[in-house]
Amino acid sequence: MDLRKKILIVDDDADFTESLSAFLEAKGFHTLKARDGGEGLKIARLQRPDLIIMDVVMNERTEGFFTVQQLRRVPELQATPIFVLSSIYSTHPEFQISPDSGWLAHDEFLSKPPDMNDLLGRIRRHLAPKEATA
Amino acid sequence: MKILKLPKDKLDYFASVVQSFGEVHAPVEQDGKFAFKRLARWSEARLDYDRTILPPKKYFLPPRETLFQFKPGAGYIPFAGDMEKKIVLFGVHACDVYALNILDMVFGGKYPDPYYLERRKNIAIIGVECVPDAQCFCRSMRADFVDHGFDLFFHDIGGYYLTMVGTALGDDMVLATRPLFEDVGAGDIDEYKRRSGEKRKKFQIEVEIRDLPEIFEMEYASAIWNELGEKCLSCGSCSAVCPTCYCFDVADDVQLGTRAGGRTRTWDSCLFATHALVAGGENFRKSRSSRVKFRFYHKQRGFVAEYGRPSCVGCGRCISACPVKIDVIKVLDTLREMQHVVSH
Repeated sequence: MDLRKKILIVDDDADFTESLSAFLEAKGFHTLKARDGGEGLKIARLQRPDLIIMDVVMNERTEGFFTVQQLRRVPELQATPIFVLSSIYSTHPEFQISPDSGWLAHDEFLSKPPDMNDLLGRIRRHLAPKEATA
Repeated sequence: MKILKLPKDKLDYFASVVQSFGEVHAPVEQDGKFAFKRLARWSEARLDYDRTILPPKKYFLPPRETLFQFKPGAGYIPFAGDMEKKIVLFGVHACDVYALNILDMVFGGKYPDPYYLERRKNIAIIGVECVPDAQCFCRSMRADFVDHGFDLFFHDIGGYYLTMVGTALGDDMVLATRPLFEDVGAGDIDEYKRRSGEKRKKFQIEVEIRDLPEIFEMEYASAIWNELGEKCLSCGSCSAVCPTCYCFDVADDVQLGTRAGGRTRTWDSCLFATHALVAGGENFRKSRSSRVKFRFYHKQRGFVAEYGRPSCVGCGRCISACPVKIDVIKVLDTLREMQHVVSH
């Protein structure tokens, strides 16, 4: 039985997905991959990843935004940390609204390409066992 | 009313952010027709649609809903169902917003319906301009423009949507996305007026409605009702697709052996054979001709007497949906011609 934490990567850039997957697997995680939002939603429902890394611009430029909202409407995924990893704000500076959790329902937003050590630190923080409250 | 403009190439981003106000539902194409559905991605939205199969009323008065449940020992158990779900209906045409305003008069009037009103509170309306086709006669019914009943309304002015802010919620949506919007200039207003004029010319049907109640009063015994009764199948399609038909049936379903159950409300139609059947076996509209006549009379005469306006909004859905091609425009034209024949 595989006890490694599962991370789902949703990104249409196959090269980026493979390199990120190789990095995370080397750090002890098990990775799942999806090429677009629809596939990501399907895999997330079936496999219940511990964390999801979501690109934004895939088949269309706001696909990731809609997929995050869909994921949050699955009861079992409401508490799953979602990291949005995208270059959308550098490629579309006219989209001047920062992705706060009020509208995007995400946990972290990072620009692409991410600092891998920073990304790893955030992943570990979100997946650390929660301390029991008194 | 606050008026701004949104560049068309930012509409997808606007829709993304607006998801924080609720699930975004918009017209989606299915098998060559259109239906309001929850969007999985923005590209599914078809804001250039002509009309949806079912009107937005399906969100506020669902085809079937549980009103409450009951159980021995527990008594009456309120059933919230999906009434509290936040939804954003994106892309509602003016005639359908007008229809919701009509339903507001019925369900928010003398006997407020808490189920309808709760949904009306939780479902936001973003209207969008449309292009009339061969079946549209909303302009004749004064339903081609609305000034209330929506949270935002988008009018196409070329590279932008002129955005009317209708409510505080609409204002919240604009505030949440303010960097996307721009102020309106005189040129934008001129473009709006120019396009409004162009749209007026596109209506192919014109119906005079001002004296229709009187004409209906005088044609009560007309032979046309028997002719329509022979054609009509009493299928109820016209009622189902009509954005202002609101008849419903209520029934208690009891689970065998448990005495537990629920009360459900389902869509009904005055075309159905048992619609006017009462206890004791009397059916006040046994013939199809009487039921067809009743539907026309309620839309164009009875509703006028009670609420001051016809409940038909001229969306044209009944014309598309009728399997035997009963065309409301042709019926009204025939009644009017008969009136002229009589007066001569």
